[in-house]
Order: sequence, then structure tokens, then C-alpha cells
Amino acid sequence: MLRVSNVCKQFNETVVLDNVSFSVEKSDILGLAGPSGGGKSTLLRCMQKLDTSDSGSIECNGRVGFMFQDFQLFPHMTVLENLIYAPTLKNKKLNHQKQARDMLKNLGIASKADTYPRHLSGGQKQRVALARSLMIKPDILLCDEPTSGLDVATTTDVVTLLESVCEMGVTMVIASHDLDFLTKISDRIILLNGGKIVVDIRPQELDDAVDYLKKYY
Amino acid sequence: MERIASSIIYVGTGVVITLELLLGGMCISIILGLLMSVLRYNGICRCFINAVISVIRGTPVILQLSFIYFTIPGLLGIKLTTIGAGVIAFGFNSSAYVAEILRAGIESIPKGQFEAARTLEIPTSHMWRDIILPQVVRNILPAMMGEVIALLKETALIATIGGMDLMRRSQTLAAERFEYFMPLCIAGAYYYCLVLFIEFIGRKIERSEKYAKGV
Repeated sequence: MLRVSNVCKQFNETVVLDNVSFSVEKSDILGLAGPSGGGKSTLLRCMQKLDTSDSGSIECNGRVGFMFQDFQLFPHMTVLENLIYAPTLKNKKLNHQKQARDMLKNLGIASKADTYPRHLSGGQKQRVALARSLMIKPDILLCDEPTSGLDVATTTDVVTLLESVCEMGVTMVIASHDLDFLTKISDRIILLNGGKIVVDIRPQELDDAVDYLKKYY
Repeated sequence: MERIASSIIYVGTGVVITLELLLGGMCISIILGLLMSVLRYNGICRCFINAVISVIRGTPVILQLSFIYFTIPGLLGIKLTTIGAGVIAFGFNSSAYVAEILRAGIESIPKGQFEAARTLEIPTSHMWRDIILPQVVRNILPAMMGEVIALLKETALIATIGGMDLMRRSQTLAAERFEYFMPLCIAGAYYYCLVLFIEFIGRKIERSEKYAKGV
């Protein structure tokens, strides 16, 4: 579904990605762990073509959706407008409103459809951002720090949400520094440190994946 | 009392010319300013636009006005009225500042908004029209209102090439009566009322729901 081959990226003298290679199968959830500056976000941005890699290749089979760490909802549009704006440009005939309202209902924020983003809490913005990225029907969803700034209860909700997205057949790559969250949700975790893959594990196969990963920080 | 009333009416007739200069100048400055700020993103045009903006901002308005009124007709073989020259000069001068205001407004939009539009596969023209510009307009409105007020006050320079605006009329009246205090106070009061009106319109727009959305 997604193949990353020998990707390198440098910002001036700093090596951010150093010969990174891996592949992800359909409907898998891949967790990208690692310390700040480890290269997680840059790798996601390269996958979405927001940044270009200096060398190597990234092949994605299908449409790629992206969920930003700081949501990047459009502040002058209501929640519903945020959701339906892009799909409506693509296909004016489909009833995107109904689809969007159903999605908001599933995410538990149906009452916020006509609210502007500035009136939403962090958790609600998170859900709207997720809903918006799903509205374009991505085959692969890239999530950058989806739990940053969220409390424990909301983080649990996000896990449930992302699992339900995965059940819809969407392949996901999730970058996060929250190891508890990643081990709960991921089928596989790659730990990036200094731009290199230092660990590649399946958390279910280990007794304490969090402890194991911490050793490589 | 009758003398004051006739002075108020005589000077006040110049409001029409002042408003003509203001509105005409604003139209030119917004169109040219928008054009310059967009062309600045084009590699080839950037240097030229930057040079034009630099020259406009680096020379006095009165020089630009005189240049357009006295030299352009000779160079291009066209006839310009005082109002026509004023509208072009004030609009041209203001466009440089509008272009700078727009540039600052566009740069104030987080890079993530452009990226979010890209990740949602929104075409560039729609991104500018529906995502970026509504937010830019909100950010630049206070600065734009300031520019409109500055433009209004600059229109008084039309008096230097004989335009019968508020300022010129008050000077004419003062010269006729050898008395400056009253005519200048009347002109000042007219200008001040116009500025207060522009500020009122600005506040109205800021408070309007449509504008407030782009927070």
C-alpha cells in the first residue's frame, strides 16, 4: 500500500532522515515513534509531498489524507463547511452534507456542525480534523501527533476513533511521542532516532513494548 | 452668522471633489495593489514590482502628482484634468502601500492553512478565493482603513495643481477675505467628519458577522 525506499532528507547540515526504508500493508496501522527532532513529522510530510526528500522514493497506492498536529481547520468556516468544502469541489452532485452529518454523529459532535472552530475544545477540533481528512475518502491516512495536548480520556477516545477508521479499510501511519498510545493502536511500530530507523517491532509480540522502546530514546 | 454659513457652504462644495479623488484613488490603489502583491510571487516580475514600490514609497506624493499632471500630457500627448491626474497620482501612490499591506496580510496566514488546502486537494484558485483571502481581508482591515484615511488627507494636495477641493476652497476664501482662521477651521471640521465617518464604516465592518467569521 505504501513503500518508502532509501529516503534521505537534510536541512542545511542537519540530517533529518537517513536512508529510511519500510513498507505498510493495506489496513495496517503503523506507529512512528521517536524523540522530538527524530524525523517523524518530516517523514510524514514527505509522504504527503508537503516536503520533498533529497533522495529515495515514496510510493503510495491510493489517495492520501493528512491530519495535522495543530488541526489547521479553516477558521472562517463552520465545522460542516470545513468538512464538505473540498468534497463538494470534486463532486457537486453527491450529498456531502448528509455524509458529513453522519460522520459528525459517529464522532459524537453532531451538535457542533454549525459551530466555528474557535468555539471547539482541543478534543473536538481533533475529531473535526479527523472527519475532514476522512471526507476525501483516503486510502492512506497520515496522522501527525493526534493525541498531543489531549487528556487521558480524550486520548482513549482517539484510539477508539482511529481503530474504527482502520476497520473502514484505511491504512494509517501515526507519528506520536506517546508510547502508551502507539502500543495500544499500532500493528507495528518504527522508532526513528537521528533520522534512522533504530527499532521495528510488532508491539503485540512483546510483553512490555513501551519499556522496550524507551531503551532506544 | 450669515458670513459663516456662506463659508461653510462654499468650502463644503469641495467635499464632492475630495470624495471623487478618494473613491477614484481607492479603486486604482486596490486594483493595482492586488495586482502588485500577486505579481510579487512571480519570480520574473518580483524585482520590477519591488523597484516600483520602492520608488513610489521613496518619493513625495506632491512630486508624483506634479509629475503626472505636468509631464505625462507632454510625454504621451494626452490631456489630463486636475481630477484625472489626482485620481491617478493618489491611486498609484496608495497602491504601493496597499501592496505592502496585502503582502503582510498574506504572510500572516499560517503556512499550515496552505498545506491543509493542498492535502485536501483544493485547487489553487479556490484556495486563494475561499480559504486564504477571506482570512487576509480580516487581518488587513484595520491597516486598510488607516490607508483610506491617509489617502483622504493626501487628496488635499490637489490644491497644488488647482483642484477646487475642500482645502483649495478654504484657501481661496481665506485669500479673498484676508482671514485664515475661520476657512481653515471649516475645512478641518469637514476633513475630521469624513475621517470619523470612515472610522465608523470600519468599525461596522469589523463588527459584522461575516467579517468576524474569519478569526
